[in-house]
Amino acid sequence: MMKLYLVEHAIGTFAFDEDGKLVDYVLNPKDIGKLVEILLNHEKGEPFPSTLELISKLKPEEVVVENEAEIPKLKVKASATLNHKAAKMFRSSLVKFALDSKFASSEGELYSFLYQLSFEYTRRKLRTAAQKRDLLAIQAVRAMDDIDKSINLFSERLREWYSLHFPELDKLVEDHETYAKIVSTFGYRDNITLEGLKSINIDEKQAKKILDAASKSIGADISEDDINSIKQLSNAILSLYNIRNSLSDYVESVMKEVAPNITALVGANLGARLLSLAGSLEEFAKMPASTIQVLGAEKALFRALRSGGRPPKHGVIFQFPAIHSSPRWQRGKIARALAAKLAIAARVDNYSGRFIGDQLVEQLNKRIEEIKTKYAQPPPRKPQPQAPKQKNFKKGGGGGKKNKGKKGKR
Amino acid sequence: MSESIKSVKETKMENVFECEYEDGTTRLCTKNLAPGYSVYGERLIKYNGIEYREWNAFRSKLAGAILKGLKENPVKKGVKVLYLGAASGTTPSHVSDIVEKEGKVYGVEFSPRVVRELILVAQRRPNLFPILADARFPQSYMPLIENVDVLYVDIAQPDQTDIAIYNAKIFLKEGGSLLLAIKARSIDVTKNPEEIFKEEASKLERSNFDVKQVINLDPYDKDHAMVLARFKG
Repeated sequence: MMKLYLVEHAIGTFAFDEDGKLVDYVLNPKDIGKLVEILLNHEKGEPFPSTLELISKLKPEEVVVENEAEIPKLKVKASATLNHKAAKMFRSSLVKFALDSKFASSEGELYSFLYQLSFEYTRRKLRTAAQKRDLLAIQAVRAMDDIDKSINLFSERLREWYSLHFPELDKLVEDHETYAKIVSTFGYRDNITLEGLKSINIDEKQAKKILDAASKSIGADISEDDINSIKQLSNAILSLYNIRNSLSDYVESVMKEVAPNITALVGANLGARLLSLAGSLEEFAKMPASTIQVLGAEKALFRALRSGGRPPKHGVIFQFPAIHSSPRWQRGKIARALAAKLAIAARVDNYSGRFIGDQLVEQLNKRIEEIKTKYAQPPPRKPQPQAPKQKNFKKGGGGGKKNKGKKGKR
Repeated sequence: MSESIKSVKETKMENVFECEYEDGTTRLCTKNLAPGYSVYGERLIKYNGIEYREWNAFRSKLAGAILKGLKENPVKKGVKVLYLGAASGTTPSHVSDIVEKEGKVYGVEFSPRVVRELILVAQRRPNLFPILADARFPQSYMPLIENVDVLYVDIAQPDQTDIAIYNAKIFLKEGGSLLLAIKARSIDVTKNPEEIFKEEASKLERSNFDVKQVINLDPYDKDHAMVLARFKG
């Protein structure tokens, strides 16, 4: 064989002859986690596995690559030229090569792949710069919980207080934030206008009800001073909402950095909550799946252990949509499957940082699907509901549980 | 948000808009690709059912250059851009707005601290590819990108022009455009800025660029200039 010009791209390694004709290629795995690993090694001078495969397949006399550092590892006569002719050609028609080689079936697919890849790659590199950032996420999520509590507390007070002036509003507006917005923007009930209500995103029907109620209100008239103090409280509530939102963004970014796999499985918020209950990412990574499953439901678990009753099916992971939106008899199974995947995710997050979130999510979804079809019907009622000691569970470990499982509330 | 808008009009440049407020002031803006999200605290404007983001010329050199009379904006709809020095994503977000879904913006940035923020911006923009890498070593991001129509360089380093030329040779299409933001103070504090701009421009000329325009960004940025050049290949 002759001299080959090799181009290494995320989609694979492509070999061209001296006239710039494509000779052969080997595609890279489409698994983003693996590919990020390959790219990171490539930076350290490790050739792509696809390059090595291509070389052993074509057995060329000599190759030209772009990355000088990988020459000694290629095991053939090699030289490096940055941006050689073939590379230039490849990079100017990337889409064509990706489609022709069947790496992607459409331009959109190619770019969404590259997008995810560069995202993942950048996050992995960020991670190495991150140290103990899990503790930051934990504190932030705890702060969010505190803020939620405060918002509720203040909102209750605001409703009581403002109701002296406009009692009807309490029933009309359920959402605390909207309520506080109305108080802050208008103050006196007589200042409320249709346009104003619309500008804070209240739909027309609702706005008319509020206006109507305001005009007929039985509340007391109050002074400027009174209303100003009430407004101050409602402004404080609104700024708490603001802090909460920015904290939530922050938690998301930190979690994606320190625990990408956990985040892929359950999202940043729930992930941070789990870490918070465990104490740190490291401790979480050391937990067995069975413990993860009931994290946050300790009270119910120990009660069950003491009394010999039924243990809880789930702790905070109850917040996972597939669990709380499923019928009761499926929840325990889904919780178990999720906890098992979380245990894997946590270990990878803590000890290697590789991204395998895609596979985990896929496997989990498959399992959930299986549960949904296999256990579509509720199990028959057990004959003696009160008997504390039952031995013979037949299939799938306690398929026939009734509604006694304690929801783990925090 | 409360201030009302009189009009939003497209400027001579594709996908760059100008909005006029009731009080007669005008601002640049771009169509928001990620509606509902403001990137650096800029104002969001709703007009005729479309959301725009105000483009602050004091924060973004490209906006400054446009206001100071950039003749032609190579950043257009559907164009591919390699953006060196993406920082926390202020200008890249507007570039991503302008090129829309059909275009691509490869945002390279070296500092992990700001990449954290860049990632947040990129999260909502499928056409913005965040890449943590050193622009001095294009080999490291070579496998991730392709050849581009526009090279945008804003990296406040003494050797920034060389870095731009190096990257252009590898990634910029023949006939593609370079937008180079020069910060005189980071090249040489002692020299007169105008002199530095000239020197850097002639450096480009020697490396096969056609320098079309050098714009002093004062008052938006002191001692800064934006160079628009065409790459002859």
